[in-house]
Amino acid sequence: MFIPAVLIYVALLVVPVIYAFYYSFTEYNGFPTRVPEFVGLDNYRTIFGSTDMTDTMVITAVVAVVGAVLVNLAALGLALLLQRTNRFNTFGRVVMFYPHVLSALVVGFLWQAVLGPQGVVNTMLEKVGTDSLPFLSDPDWALWSMILVIVWSLFGVQLILYLAGLQAVPADLLEAARIDGAGRWRTFRAVTWPSLASTVTVAVITSGISLLKTYDVVVSLTGGGPAGSTKTLAYSILAVSFPQRNIGVASAQAVVLILAAAVLAITVLVLRKRAEDDAESIG
Amino acid sequence: MNKTTSTAATVRVAFICLVSLGMLVPMYILVINTFKSQQEILANPFSLNPGTATFQYLADAWTNPDFSILKGYGITLALVLCVNAIAMAVCAPAAYALARTPKPVFRLLLFFFIAGMFIPTQVILVPVIFVLRAIGLMGTLPGLILFMTATTIPFTLFVFFGYIRVLPRSLDEAAAIDGAGKYHTLWRIILPLMRPIIATVFILNSLSVWNDFASPQMILGPGSGIYTVTTGVYAAVGQYSTDYTKVFPTLLLAVIPILVIFIVMQRHIMSGLAAGAVKG
Repeated sequence: MFIPAVLIYVALLVVPVIYAFYYSFTEYNGFPTRVPEFVGLDNYRTIFGSTDMTDTMVITAVVAVVGAVLVNLAALGLALLLQRTNRFNTFGRVVMFYPHVLSALVVGFLWQAVLGPQGVVNTMLEKVGTDSLPFLSDPDWALWSMILVIVWSLFGVQLILYLAGLQAVPADLLEAARIDGAGRWRTFRAVTWPSLASTVTVAVITSGISLLKTYDVVVSLTGGGPAGSTKTLAYSILAVSFPQRNIGVASAQAVVLILAAAVLAITVLVLRKRAEDDAESIG
Repeated sequence: MNKTTSTAATVRVAFICLVSLGMLVPMYILVINTFKSQQEILANPFSLNPGTATFQYLADAWTNPDFSILKGYGITLALVLCVNAIAMAVCAPAAYALARTPKPVFRLLLFFFIAGMFIPTQVILVPVIFVLRAIGLMGTLPGLILFMTATTIPFTLFVFFGYIRVLPRSLDEAAAIDGAGKYHTLWRIILPLMRPIIATVFILNSLSVWNDFASPQMILGPGSGIYTVTTGVYAAVGQYSTDYTKVFPTLLLAVIPILVIFIVMQRHIMSGLAAGAVKG
């Protein structure tokens, strides 16, 4: 009963991953007439040896780590504020979630029109007589602008996850904490946070992995620039190495990203397991 | 006591209003600037003068000779429906078989599928191109549909598995006694019970397929003449990113259908997301 699922899944997801590993050890320009030539670790030496590509990896890591921290802090904070179900809060949840239904490409173009050199914000700044700000034209600013745009568009999903998680926090424990005279912060630390463990795991893994593959926003918001300051690994693979017919390098970059995602997922799962074991030994 | 709670409540409400405003301002800018000329946008990006507002630019974007948005809607919708249909048709039996057979081999198979959720699908597009070329589907809609289906299988299967596992086995046994085969039981007994989870999966998979840009961009390519809403927007807006009379109307047309669907279905979309993710 699972043969059709296995067929599609293996042919178009597992085989490509295997191919990525294989091509990453070859030199290949992608032409059907040419056979990939085995070159060992050369492609990995290339990507870890060139500052351009190590910068790309650092930028990807910064986007993933800083982005995931900001997304989850914003989502958890707002989930605690919007926890009670009433009209006002329901409206707030909808407003904070809606960017998720827009495609990341559109989000990037929209924010480019807002933050660009001739964009809405700079027009307004000039009107009030202030200098314009280099949101997307200065290398340092551009990376942070991009991260904030991604956080803007992404945290709504995690907000919904945390809201669902908060509903599962045992009411009698919260009540007991209140009777014991625990303050808000104590209650959060001792009751809410441990009960949220599995939600936090899911939210961190899903946001981390979607941030690792950041591509659409780069295309539409900054095009990787200025001076490569927002060039992520996914952008480098699809918009630089592949068009240059560097299949080997593109594949080695893909392998690095796949391994990073695996390490991220395994780390979070192990940490969660340990936290659960600790919680059990206390309780 | 009462006074401090009411101050805290006021601060909370004010803060949420402020955040909501930050979330809505870009959309407000998008909507009002759709009806204005370039000079007006540059002079007054935050206000709309009803006297000079015009539907001209929206009409121009709709009839753009390089990118027919209507065709983009059609292709994207077809993509959404096909991917959902195939993903569910292959995942429901697989999840059913996995959920009902407690053998270690099947446990391993489930892990094998779930591992796919951790693969950043956009970055394996390069090898996917070679696979599709080998089977003759590169640059075609069926090729794109198959790849997108493959990327939705891990999540679909995982969520279906979790749902079927909690359905009582006595249902299957009763059907078996009545002489129903496996497929018959799945079709007549299990699937009707799965309606809520099917709705959830449909909504979430549709959102990700509708919004995907990298896969159609790489697999269809510019030469195929087939474009989705996202690749069409890229072609229409990418090179004219400073001509706001093209940017804003095109972006508005791209987001209207999905925003309308979201506003109508927001409760189901948001509760579906929560249910789908937390089940694990």
